[in-house]
Amino acid sequence: MTRSVIGEPVGHPTAPASAAPAALREAVAPADDFERLRELLLGDERRDLAAARARIEQLERAQRDLPGRLPDAAAEALRDERGRPRIAAALSEPVAEALGAAVQKHRQSLVDALFPILGPMIRKAIAEALRSLVTNLNGAIESSFTVRGLRWRMQAWRAGVPYAEIVLKHRLAYGIDHVFLIDRSNGLVLHHASAPGLPPLDADAIAGMLTALGDFVDDSVGGDAGGALDSAQVGEDLVWVEHGPRVNLACFVHGVPPPQLRTLMEQRVEEIHARLLALPPDASPRAIGEDAFVRERLEPAALLRDTDEATAPAAARRPSRGPLLALVLLALALLGGYAWERWRWSVQVDALRARLAAHPGFLLSGIDARPWRELTVHGLLDPDAEPLDAVLAGADLGGVRPRLDANGYVAADDAVIARRATRLLAPPPSTAIDVRERVLHLSGTAPQAWIDGALARAAWVAGVAGVESSLAPAGDAVADSRAEIARIVAGWTALYVPFVQDAEPAPGAEAVVDELAGSLQRIAALAAIAKVDIDVAAYGSNDDSGGSEANARVRALRAQWLARALAARGAAAVRVADEAQAPGAPDRRGAQLRATVTGVRR
Amino acid sequence: MNAPAYKVCMLGDFGVGKTSLVARYVRSTFSDKYLTTVGVKVDSKDVALPGRGPLTLVLWDIAGRSALDAPSTTYLRGASALLLVADGTRETSLSSALTLLMQSRDTLPDAIAVLAVNKLDLVERWEVAATTLAELRRSLPVFETSALSGAGVEDAFAEVARRLAG
Repeated sequence: MTRSVIGEPVGHPTAPASAAPAALREAVAPADDFERLRELLLGDERRDLAAARARIEQLERAQRDLPGRLPDAAAEALRDERGRPRIAAALSEPVAEALGAAVQKHRQSLVDALFPILGPMIRKAIAEALRSLVTNLNGAIESSFTVRGLRWRMQAWRAGVPYAEIVLKHRLAYGIDHVFLIDRSNGLVLHHASAPGLPPLDADAIAGMLTALGDFVDDSVGGDAGGALDSAQVGEDLVWVEHGPRVNLACFVHGVPPPQLRTLMEQRVEEIHARLLALPPDASPRAIGEDAFVRERLEPAALLRDTDEATAPAAARRPSRGPLLALVLLALALLGGYAWERWRWSVQVDALRARLAAHPGFLLSGIDARPWRELTVHGLLDPDAEPLDAVLAGADLGGVRPRLDANGYVAADDAVIARRATRLLAPPPSTAIDVRERVLHLSGTAPQAWIDGALARAAWVAGVAGVESSLAPAGDAVADSRAEIARIVAGWTALYVPFVQDAEPAPGAEAVVDELAGSLQRIAALAAIAKVDIDVAAYGSNDDSGGSEANARVRALRAQWLARALAARGAAAVRVADEAQAPGAPDRRGAQLRATVTGVRR
Repeated sequence: MNAPAYKVCMLGDFGVGKTSLVARYVRSTFSDKYLTTVGVKVDSKDVALPGRGPLTLVLWDIAGRSALDAPSTTYLRGASALLLVADGTRETSLSSALTLLMQSRDTLPDAIAVLAVNKLDLVERWEVAATTLAELRRSLPVFETSALSGAGVEDAFAEVARRLAG
């Protein structure tokens, strides 16, 4: 029976293969039996198959629903703190690949999408650059007329570079952030310095990487020529490396440094190698990093300072104008000194000309002068005029002694006429001669015979326009005394004490004082006989140079000096006229006496 | 006065864990990308040894290779010590490390050498026999390390520092 057959335990030996078709035919039975048979034979597999089919259907349904659920699922995951990094990590690679593929396949779309973004960015960058340029130009223009601008212009002129270059030099900011002194043999840091305020960094690692990069560049592109990494730039930050046989110097710089910084780095490397040579042979290269001199020289601030100092002379593309400026200044100083001396010479010559023009009996026709060498005075001189020696000697012309080239003539000056009349008429001591407005005045006493002769000849004296006489015949003691007093007083008009400067008497002054003292004593004696009271005053006088206040002070000083000198000689009754000018006294450096009758007694 | 600094080069075959050892030991300043671009990455570590002054190890992690080429030789220049790294699960990496040591002697005849056999965390898969390591220990200091767990890492670097400090 099929049942028994079927009822055989699984795994037990079955009938031979030749018997199988018969068994199967017998096994063909009604449907329920067949179904039961299938259940017995394939029940487990059928259930597994059904479960698998259901699972597949479920997965396919889930797959179909995935696009609809994915956004919500992603949003849910992004809201979760733990899910967000997982989403990012999961999407990073596919998104990157997708972007790469999109760039390859849809370049135009990307260009279209980025163009609205890139355009404003580029315009903004250009605008920033232009704004910076305009700021610099504004600075240049604004500084053109300021003290700073003028200083910059002077600096540009001295250095022989354009003004704009000096302006940009001062306006372009740069800074040195880090300085590394690196042992070239192993890339180790020998010294490191940073600008203040910067965060700390791993100097050893940076120096090592810099050395490794240099080696990499050298091995890669240096070739046999032994090239080296001299600089690297990223944006406005750059690294400059200066190579030496034993050490390298690296500067991390921001901004736009001047080329003088590179030159300064070369100098520093040379200085450091010089100090390395001075180290003992067994000394470690690290010792150079501890050298105070090296540390000071490698401070960023010191490098900035020395670069700025080196900028001006090193930037000059033409020879410095400093020496030329010094020569110009020297020439100007010499020219100024010459002009000053020439002006002083002219002033002194003019003063001499004025004194000569004012000198009675001298007619100045001209002065020939070679500055500081010689001076010749040309003119006409009356023989009866007062000699010009004192005037010429008083000219302050340095070592030049004026020479006089004069011809004779007859002068009509009152003083000269008086001297001429005195010479021609030879009056007795009791007679006084005075000329005012070319009118000859005769006073005093004289013998009648002389009076008669004098009155007859006086009108013939050259220059005399008229004669007035108050002469009294001699023999009257009162009259004689009065006449002699008048004569003595009249003689004082030509007598004066000469001075060199201020109250410094000139040679011969003492003799004049002695004469004045003697005449004062004589007047004192005569005044008692003549029964008159006489006021004697000492006056100072000055030449026409100098200011009025100074001249007044000098006049007072000279009057006081004369009064004191007379008092020292026993002539004390002399009044000091202070700043007053003596009546009829010419402009000259002197002091003189004047007397007036203040009372007549019966 | 600053602590003395010494250049230490990490040598070993590709994938033995040199970079991981350095990363376990120091906090890196630079990215690992320099290893694939320039072929080296430099870090530093200040070490304080008991009873001795501090010193600085400047670690040059040279990209892995089984034999020295010209750039690697250049990077070795001036090194005071070598930290050879081998992978315990690959016996060939130990041979490479020893080959690198022999080759580097031309450039660095006096450099200190320390061997780190890495991946101690996978010790059950090690191909390097203990007897081999015992034999090697007769020639140079050998440390079994794990960059993953950190086991032996500090000891290996400390040994380098001790030997440098003399």
